[in-house]
Amino acid sequence: MGAMTLTLFLEQLFNGLQAGVTLFLIAAGLTLILGIMDFVFLAHGSQVMVGAYAGAAITSWTGNFYLGLVLAIPVTFASGYLIEYLLVRHLYRRDHMEQVLATFGLILFFNELVRIGFGPAALFSDLPPSLSHFVEILPNTPYPLYRLVVIGVGLACALGIHLFVSGTKTGAMVRAGANNPEMTAAMGVNISLLFRLIFAAGAAFAGLAGALLGPLTSVESGMGEPLLILSLVVIIIGGIGSVRGAFIAAILIGIVDTLGRIFLPMLLRQILHGSAADGAGPALASMLVYILMAVVLIFRPQGLFPPRG
Amino acid sequence: MRGVREIIALIRNGMRENRLLFFLLAGFALFPIYTGVADLPFWEDVAMRIMLLGMAAMGLNLVLGYGGMVSFGHAAFLGVGAYCVGISQSFGLMNGWAHLLISIGVCGTLGLMIGYLALRTSGIYFIMITLAFAQMLFFLFVSLEVFGGDDGMSIDRAEFLPLDLYEPLRLYFLIWVMLVLVSVLLMLLVRSRFGVTLRAIRNNASRIQAMGIEPLDFRITGYVISAVICGVAGTFFASWQEYVSPDIMHWSRSGELMIIIVLGGLGTLAGPLLGAVVFLLLEEFLPELLYLIAPDYAENWMIIFGPLLIAVVLFGRGGLIGMLEYLSPRSRGGGAS
Repeated sequence: MGAMTLTLFLEQLFNGLQAGVTLFLIAAGLTLILGIMDFVFLAHGSQVMVGAYAGAAITSWTGNFYLGLVLAIPVTFASGYLIEYLLVRHLYRRDHMEQVLATFGLILFFNELVRIGFGPAALFSDLPPSLSHFVEILPNTPYPLYRLVVIGVGLACALGIHLFVSGTKTGAMVRAGANNPEMTAAMGVNISLLFRLIFAAGAAFAGLAGALLGPLTSVESGMGEPLLILSLVVIIIGGIGSVRGAFIAAILIGIVDTLGRIFLPMLLRQILHGSAADGAGPALASMLVYILMAVVLIFRPQGLFPPRG
Repeated sequence: MRGVREIIALIRNGMRENRLLFFLLAGFALFPIYTGVADLPFWEDVAMRIMLLGMAAMGLNLVLGYGGMVSFGHAAFLGVGAYCVGISQSFGLMNGWAHLLISIGVCGTLGLMIGYLALRTSGIYFIMITLAFAQMLFFLFVSLEVFGGDDGMSIDRAEFLPLDLYEPLRLYFLIWVMLVLVSVLLMLLVRSRFGVTLRAIRNNASRIQAMGIEPLDFRITGYVISAVICGVAGTFFASWQEYVSPDIMHWSRSGELMIIIVLGGLGTLAGPLLGAVVFLLLEEFLPELLYLIAPDYAENWMIIFGPLLIAVVLFGRGGLIGMLEYLSPRSRGGGAS
């Protein structure tokens, strides 16, 4: 029993880590969009979907999974660039509610677009044989290799983003922009170009997340919205505009959500008895991340790791 | 007696100032004559849906339009109102008036709790925390297998004695009367000291605070009232749909309610109702319109609706009411007011 629980725990911990790094890829760009541009962009989940479709479609056309994965990045970069150029830049000066509504319209548009282009049924893409086997993370604990690859890619991206933001001149502009956009513009930074590039890069990371998720979930219209809402939770907990906060919060949310769903019902069953635990466990587990977010907002409204001033 | 006479005078003044609202309400009262003669029960159904979502949007508008608080989670109250009916019925309580009281009580309490916590924040944070609470409730009902979980639960129309809601038009006019009551309540509220203060807080909270008025009290009160109105709409939504599921409180519904308000006219009395009429008629007619142009894509009407929504936000400031005012000769002559 004990060994089995340990195996299960380790497995779920890795699943949580995988969910966490994927969430980070989505949230990294969005936290900058919310923080630097003060822009409520709900259609970021659509970028995840665009990436997932691009990956799945290119994979099925060329038969090469890696090509699909890699090409999803420029596709979503272009889509992010275009969205910023065509729509978003006209909305920076509008109030939050108008931004919510316009980007909500964008979600409806994108969801319908993929339904027209790829049909209403979900796409399933298979992993290439080289990625579809298991590795033993501990003796007698097999774990799917692909999920480890996702974790690796996510962590590499996180490291890359960190080095870029903290070590380069453009990164310094991004940090300055997150801290005080007006002042940054006054110092001569081409803020509108900076905004557009952040937007496109953020979309590209979201697209990569979507392409990575493709073989793990069903690729379908509307798949981005649950991920969007979870990444908003991540951003609020981490502190709006803080990439570092987004990383820590994403891992936290990924692990809490995954482990909560498995172990909270088990835990409750030991404390409570019978039907009460069976009802309350899943309910509490699915509310857990939102409860966490509400608690953070109430006690630390600026998030756990607000951008350093 | 004086009090009653004053209220009647207020309503009469209100009618003069809110012609469009009363025109719409009268339209809903007369509409069943048309559907009856032409035998179009389907459109009667659509009209009920419009009135219900219009009512919920009017409630949200108190917070969004008059209070300037961007709540992205009001569908939750609509859903909780509906679940009050479903859960009461599963315990054998069929009395609709009791459902109504329960909904008002539960949504009021919930509104107070959520409002108290959420209104400590503002801006993007407020949008997100209201969304978070709505998601919490959504997933609560999704995972409550006792009450149908994801699939929801079928229910009967409630017993609103002495009315039998299964008789033709009873539910229609019950909803209509509720809509009229909500309209009158909001009209009085907006004109009252409370309404004026709420708008003043929206425009400049710190100035109001400097006058010794606590903005938070007014905001919370407004939030609770709007939650209750959404709950009432939800109560009747359940009877109308004869079915309750978490779908009714999906986060996209909160977006829909906001769209309805902005489409009609933010911070106006008639706006949400007008917006509901136009929004739901678009939902009905866009597929048919699309069928004429491109029959293969009639189902994909959202491809037009999405950009239409963006256009409304970009260009349609003031919503349909704003457009009507612009077009009306009275305001053009400059002699209005």
